[in-house]
Amino acid sequence: MRRARWVLIAFILSAGVAHADAENPAAHGKATYGLAGCGLGSLVFGDQKGAIQILAATSNTTFGTQTFGITTGTSNCVDTAAGSAGAKIFIEGNREALAKDAARGSGETITTLTAMAGCKDAKAVGTALQKHFTQLFPQQTPAEQVSQNVLKELRSDSSLECRKIG
Amino acid sequence: MPGVRAALIALATCSTAPALAAEVARADPAYLPELLASAKEKSLAEARAWLRLGHWRKRLLGGWESEADGPGLFLSPQGKRDPAAELEATLTGFFAAGDGAPSGDSKLADPSLEHPQCRFPARFAFLAGALQIDPARLPPRSCPRFEAFWRRVSARSATLIFSSYYLNSPASAFGHTFLRLGKDEVASSGERLDLIDQAVDFAAIANTPNAVLYAFEGLFGFFRGEFSARPYFYKVREYADYESRDLWEYDLSLDQRQLGMLVAHLWELGQTWFDYYYVTENCSYQILGALEAADPKLDLLSHVGVATLPSDSVKALFANPGLVRGVRYRPSARTQLAARTAGLSGGDLDAVQQLAEGDDSAGLGAMPTDERVRVVDAALDLVDVRHGRDIVTGSDPRADRLRQHLLETRSAIGVPSPPLNIPPPAAGGPERGHGSLRLGLGGGASREEGALFLAEGRMALHDLADPPAGFSPRTQLEFFKVRLSAADRPGAVRLEEASLVEVTSLNPIDRFEQRVSWKMRVGATRVADAGCDRCVAGFLAVGGGPGMVSADGTFSAALTADAELLGAPDLHGLSGSPVRPGIGPGLLLRLLAGDRGALVGTGTWRWLPSASPETTYELGLEARLHLGPVSLAARGRAAPRAHDLGLLLLMYRD
Repeated sequence: MRRARWVLIAFILSAGVAHADAENPAAHGKATYGLAGCGLGSLVFGDQKGAIQILAATSNTTFGTQTFGITTGTSNCVDTAAGSAGAKIFIEGNREALAKDAARGSGETITTLTAMAGCKDAKAVGTALQKHFTQLFPQQTPAEQVSQNVLKELRSDSSLECRKIG
Repeated sequence: MPGVRAALIALATCSTAPALAAEVARADPAYLPELLASAKEKSLAEARAWLRLGHWRKRLLGGWESEADGPGLFLSPQGKRDPAAELEATLTGFFAAGDGAPSGDSKLADPSLEHPQCRFPARFAFLAGALQIDPARLPPRSCPRFEAFWRRVSARSATLIFSSYYLNSPASAFGHTFLRLGKDEVASSGERLDLIDQAVDFAAIANTPNAVLYAFEGLFGFFRGEFSARPYFYKVREYADYESRDLWEYDLSLDQRQLGMLVAHLWELGQTWFDYYYVTENCSYQILGALEAADPKLDLLSHVGVATLPSDSVKALFANPGLVRGVRYRPSARTQLAARTAGLSGGDLDAVQQLAEGDDSAGLGAMPTDERVRVVDAALDLVDVRHGRDIVTGSDPRADRLRQHLLETRSAIGVPSPPLNIPPPAAGGPERGHGSLRLGLGGGASREEGALFLAEGRMALHDLADPPAGFSPRTQLEFFKVRLSAADRPGAVRLEEASLVEVTSLNPIDRFEQRVSWKMRVGATRVADAGCDRCVAGFLAVGGGPGMVSADGTFSAALTADAELLGAPDLHGLSGSPVRPGIGPGLLLRLLAGDRGALVGTGTWRWLPSASPETTYELGLEARLHLGPVSLAARGRAAPRAHDLGLLLLMYRD
């Protein structure tokens, strides 16, 4: 009897959560990788909601895809060496933070991007990204498009002297 | 490209890099028996460095067992329980013929198909040093995949990162720890380029969206824990930005040899998994284990208790003198918002709030440029604190539009924002926190029982009156607390309280954020009213309501609407049943006197429908004086059938 009650409670609790997660691809192991390049949303968060999200923050659990496995991972979103490929990964993974720094004309992501692209001066890069913000970061643009825009801007403005993204 | 391995071996053997023209040379099979004999003679299988590389620990009943649960860390079928067999299999494997690396450069190739030298570069480096392996007779192989990892990491430093509590989720007061392998690159302007370093994490791979199963599996080791590596910026964005957790960074003084061993060993660990136990063999435990393998001189795991709290793992670093060479602090999104709004006038704050709610009538046009910059910058941070996660996952188009509009407004101002310099909080990092285990002894008096002897214990972690250094000032999180009393007559040792979990989260209601304060408690308590004759009842209570915390944290308060459920065979509960629900208000007040003292007052009143009695109450007051490793506590309580006072000495231990 007592056991039956416990099973019932467990069932009710789990039903509520299972429902909340029914449309969560990450929780069911279907990675959304590829749709958003190296974007944060799909790679880091999946779409965990509610109780699971809090538990994940508590118990340090991930609903990991294999993207970041040390020996098994893909190299697509992990290599941050200077150059075009690394800069692209950096821009996509920091899309929101970079947009904010670009609008502000300064910040850590701009300093880092400047070094990765081999540009001469972070201040000049910040000014350029701020000036062309609306073209570079249009609303609801996929991260991959943003990285193309930004790299193109850095390449085309010869005064920035970005030497590592050829 | 044998350069990486040559360098690693050179580091391990403390000699100059051996000439590796022998890349194409074949291993000399006659050399293997010599090495095996030499290893036996030197008892290498019992060497600390070897045991740590295999994560073997002494078993209770003798012998060894590795904590690694996946087969990938062993070449011998007996490897998990037999360090000597694994050593033999490893040396034998190093002589294996064949190319080793799987054909093609597929990164998803099965690592177990690789040559043992490439699977176990840290073992190779250790054995090459310990046995003085002659590279002419056992030529090191080329290992393209490991070398790619080595280059990607380019480690010049190692840092342990502690991610602190997650606001509104006090359970994460435990925090999280992971490693950062630093490239130590610096911008021409002098700033550190930490974001492009690699972070190495050990985390459980969850496989169920069911919260009940999830909690159960996490506690009892049903999840697999695996090591992973990704650019540090993913971690910064996830923890500091979207979960608003401050990051503490502890730079470790590892030399190039130890760093090389760490990277090589992490590569080895990447091939296996460990059963993940939320409380014991968790992220912090395995990170410390990896560090111990990299430098056998370190003593880290011996400094953490049965439960490995992330904060204790930070203290374990400090228990090795000289290991931490610097501490840095990376403020979370919420901390940055607080810094941006700190200097703003009331009118500016109104403007920030309006902007963050999409109201453009804030009168930006009339402001001088630098004021406009400060206001829009603060509004941007506020939008991110409120909607950051939705924006990243794209689940709220309205928040997207709001943010985009503010970004465009900000970019149109056309001047750069000055850097935001935020000093670390005065409460300090987790290394300053009190020990999580607390024991208390003392005496008291009760109107009902007379003189009392009092004893109590708590496994973890922190309550609102404990020494505040190193903890969130707003969070109580306690596991396994027991309070006993003994009156001066035979057979009068009694359980007063046994709590499994007790949580309080104080959240200030301020102009920008309206989050409720809440509390939760599960356990057993002695009934202090006429509901039964002082029986012990199972107890579940929750409550929520508005709270406030003064700017410096000195004064805090919360008024909550509570609901509770008691159950005991003798209880006169709902309609005569043994179950007694109750509802009513709760009040919590706290006054802190710096690091030295705390005063906490609590009060509850309950309506108990269809029960006898129909109402009950409890008032409590506790004062604490913190005297270094111990604290003095004075507490009083008034309830319908309990009026007592107690004085206790509390001791904290890690």
